Amino acid sequence: MTESKIYFKFDGKKYAGNEGDTIAAALLRNNVRLIGRSFKYHRPRGIYTCGIEEPNALVQIINEHNEPNVRATVKKIYEGMIIKSQNRWPSLKTDLGSINNILSPIFSAGFYYKTFMGPKGFWKNVYEPLIRRTAGLGKPPKEFKSKSIHQHHNVDIIIVGGGLSGLLAAKKFAGTNYDVLLVEREDALGGILKNANKIKSINDQSSNDWLEKTERLIRNSNNIKILKNTLVTTYNFSDHLIALEDKNVGKPQNNEKPELVLHKIRTKHTILANGHIERFITFRNNDLPGVMLAASFEKYLNRYGVVPDESPVIFTNNSSTYSLLKSLTDLGHKPKAYVDIRDQKNIEKETVDLLEKLNIPFYPKSEIEGCEGQKEVKKVSIRTKKNQISKIKTSMLCVSGGFNPDIHLFTQSKGLLKWDKDHLTFKPDRIFQKTITLGSVSGNFSYEKLLVEVEKKLSEFEGLNELEVKFELSGPEKFQIKELWETKQEKKSLWSKSFIDLQNDVTTKDLKQAVNEGFNRIEHLKRFTTNSMGTDQGKISSINALGIVSKILKKDISEVGTTTYRPPYSPVNFSAIAGRSTYEFYDPERKTPLHSWHINQNAVFENVGQWKRPWYFKKSEDETMHQSVQREAEQVRKTAGILDGSTLGKIEIKGKDALTFVNLMYTNSFTKMKPKTGRYALMLGEDGMIKDDGIVCKINDQHFIVTTTTGNAASVLAHMEEYAQTEWPNLNVYMNSITEQFATFNLSGPKSRVIMSRVFNDIDFSNDKFPFMSFDNFKYLDTEIRILRASFTGELGYEIYVPPSHALKLWQKIFMYSRDFDLVPYGTETMHLLRAEKGYIIVGQDTDGTVTPLDLNLNWMIGKKKKDFIGKRSLTRIDIVRESRKQLVGLVPIDKTLGIEEGQHVIEQKDLSLPIKDPVDMLGHVTSSYFSPNLNHSVAMALIRSGKRKIGSRLFVSTENLNTIAVEVVEPNFIDPKNERMML
Amino acid sequence: MFTIRCPYCGERDQSEFSNGGEAHVARPKDPEQISDREWSEYVFIRANPKGIYYERWVHTHGCKKWFNAVRNTSTDEILKVYKIGENPPPLKEFKNTIKTPSGEPDVGSGNFSVKKP
Repeated sequence: MTESKIYFKFDGKKYAGNEGDTIAAALLRNNVRLIGRSFKYHRPRGIYTCGIEEPNALVQIINEHNEPNVRATVKKIYEGMIIKSQNRWPSLKTDLGSINNILSPIFSAGFYYKTFMGPKGFWKNVYEPLIRRTAGLGKPPKEFKSKSIHQHHNVDIIIVGGGLSGLLAAKKFAGTNYDVLLVEREDALGGILKNANKIKSINDQSSNDWLEKTERLIRNSNNIKILKNTLVTTYNFSDHLIALEDKNVGKPQNNEKPELVLHKIRTKHTILANGHIERFITFRNNDLPGVMLAASFEKYLNRYGVVPDESPVIFTNNSSTYSLLKSLTDLGHKPKAYVDIRDQKNIEKETVDLLEKLNIPFYPKSEIEGCEGQKEVKKVSIRTKKNQISKIKTSMLCVSGGFNPDIHLFTQSKGLLKWDKDHLTFKPDRIFQKTITLGSVSGNFSYEKLLVEVEKKLSEFEGLNELEVKFELSGPEKFQIKELWETKQEKKSLWSKSFIDLQNDVTTKDLKQAVNEGFNRIEHLKRFTTNSMGTDQGKISSINALGIVSKILKKDISEVGTTTYRPPYSPVNFSAIAGRSTYEFYDPERKTPLHSWHINQNAVFENVGQWKRPWYFKKSEDETMHQSVQREAEQVRKTAGILDGSTLGKIEIKGKDALTFVNLMYTNSFTKMKPKTGRYALMLGEDGMIKDDGIVCKINDQHFIVTTTTGNAASVLAHMEEYAQTEWPNLNVYMNSITEQFATFNLSGPKSRVIMSRVFNDIDFSNDKFPFMSFDNFKYLDTEIRILRASFTGELGYEIYVPPSHALKLWQKIFMYSRDFDLVPYGTETMHLLRAEKGYIIVGQDTDGTVTPLDLNLNWMIGKKKKDFIGKRSLTRIDIVRESRKQLVGLVPIDKTLGIEEGQHVIEQKDLSLPIKDPVDMLGHVTSSYFSPNLNHSVAMALIRSGKRKIGSRLFVSTENLNTIAVEVVEPNFIDPKNERMML
Repeated sequence: MFTIRCPYCGERDQSEFSNGGEAHVARPKDPEQISDREWSEYVFIRANPKGIYYERWVHTHGCKKWFNAVRNTSTDEILKVYKIGENPPPLKEFKNTIKTPSGEPDVGSGNFSVKKP
């Protein structure tokens, strides 16, 4: 076999690995055992497993945007990969943080909760920065632009896991009418067939041959799609699963292609065939590099061709380690010792025979007391059946504490578990969704029974294939195990520890202490000790913790129960969740037809919903925002200004009952309103609070056009639809959004009539022919435009509605015809200033969902004679007519040079002193405040308690310091109170 | 994430829909004639049962049509959908899955993943 070497760097040193190696396999190949430092105590840690369950070997990939906490046992190497170890300083070998290990008595369970309590301010300034530096995993990744994508599937069957059980299920479905998705997390199908030496042959062929044939059969079947390198992370309610596919396995990142695909899978039935996870046993220093799970060791031998150690000690409490023994001795290696806690008479004959034949030191009814070593295992001590400690030199210890069906996904689906006394594990019991479990995940550890199980559980499907499979096993058929969670330990040194959660550095001592302190419910205990709360979610250890706790509590393990398994099964990158919804794709930008013109005129834009609106126009580079706004506002009142109002929501309402409907939707009465006129109107919620405002234009009783605020365009239409469909379906009425069908110009100022007459020289804009609030359609070139005489500035004003294709030309034409008036384009900020000078409200700025028309003194807008409209009845509710509600007033500072800040409190008290002894009575707050260039002082609007009664009085407005500003409360109408200018 | 069968479009993902709260809350015919309390009950008070609930949904990112659905709020099972104006199916048509005294269904909700012996 010619294998090309792949070179990569780990902590600056260059290593060579084989193609297909994970980082862990490649490092083991190079005899590197020390991979990182632990979370809290900074203890040396190595490679514990050979897969997704890894608690220790987390590394940072420097050349992939610093990606942290990557499992070295999962991530495949490629040429030029740069890897760094985590949580150590200055280096992996001499880590100063390991002092925490000696200080460990003070770092016990609940340490953070108990210790960092005071004094005030210490958490933020001292404790937190300190903890963040010393505790933790990797460093945050650098920013990068995700290319991940999302993909949706709709299938009949999803098979989770392409191991033996999953393949048998897939074979049953191959070539049938079922649409099947087979998801495998490794880069090859086969699972146990590739990992372990348990099955000698299938149908008299080697298991590899059978696997190849089966995969070919599935591939050729046309109804089964195989996803490899894809991990099912989530099993949601309603047969909805999420899986994460890594597109870059064994390859450097490619900037052109997606690195991750998030599969969203909707299925009719879910077949879980995701196998089992081996668990460990706790003994003294069970975290040292060189301690590895037995099945993981065997997986390195069989799948990667790596021999992590030629003569390890094997420690087990069950029959499964026979296959490791077989795999290792078949390669010609000899374990140092075989330690089994079971009595010799209970140990399988195959194991005993093999040990005897090869003369391997055999310790039945014995256990590992602990191991010694500074940076890796040097010696293990065995407690023999005579209760004597016997020490053996070794550099590796393989441990098997039994198997847990991988029930994470099953419990995510809300299925219930039960305790299996024979196999000492939790297994699926009752399903909640359409879930089928097959193989070891269902608690079936027998290959003989697997065929029966597959046939039985898939019998509900019609037209499936017959299975003809015959296994020849290479080891004992029956899985046998004896209970052991933690071995008896000799007291050694302060340095000695027995871990129950390797990733979060939780010891069995912590569990005991937590129970002693009263945390005897498993969910509380988990949070207090942080047991199984690492990124591995305690995959190899959480059942052990339950075992230990059940012993302390003297309860049955099924009574202790499990903690809740929550998605995701394994960490999911944020970039995968975000998918393409990033940057400009996250939220679309909407631009008006005049956008390019605005850019040419140096507009500064403001986001209003998704719209980009000109905020103000910079006349010169050094003009400040304040200067621009003051200039624009002054010019509008002097001659004329024009605003791009295209973003205003526009809704066309038609139908026989349009009048009735509009009367119900808005407070005003539209019955007597003349056709071809408009009216400022308020829309309330059923609670009487202002929802939106706009102008309702009547073309005739069957046809209305209404405008909405920019931000509420969609919600107002939805509100109308809701009532039209659910409350008054008998009304003949139809709504349609025409926001994008018309660009809107708001021309305003004393010269606007002259300008209109020049631009549209065939239209008579005189007060007689086109009075205030007139509305009409006009022919314009080859199209139609709509003109409304209305004003949001208090000046004479016109709104022009023009199809977008004609917008820019007409806009330019208007400027061409008004050169002698210095027509000024103005932005939203100037619009706000001008309307504030008139005391006009902005829904959402001067109102906040708790404001009624009465509070704003808009009683005149309520059609009192109307029998009903939405919110009418609420306006007479006792709380709504209460005089002491917050009401809108105007504020003018007594000292005309001072400015008032929006959002400040309005109070009666002049002097504020520190410390504030009595609560300051807040009357309300400032909703709008601007410096008016036309009045040469600040004007503000505020919502204050009993505002109407306070007009004429003097109050104070708070500032950012202890000073207050004296203000006079006035009617909120600062310029032209008689409204003569807009009637010009 | 569940799916909902829109009576106009067919089965779609839940993310296409918006919930509109309790169904069959009639708007009072003559609001002026009823007391503040009766009116505020219409505006503010909604049943919030654990179990079978008649509620309104709208296919926001679809046909924009409103319709009614019967949902088991403890399991999120949609038991029936029907159009606005159609008579609500009687409660006895649905088997309430809630059996335990606390109202907790024995499968599908709560934190207990292990079956009590």
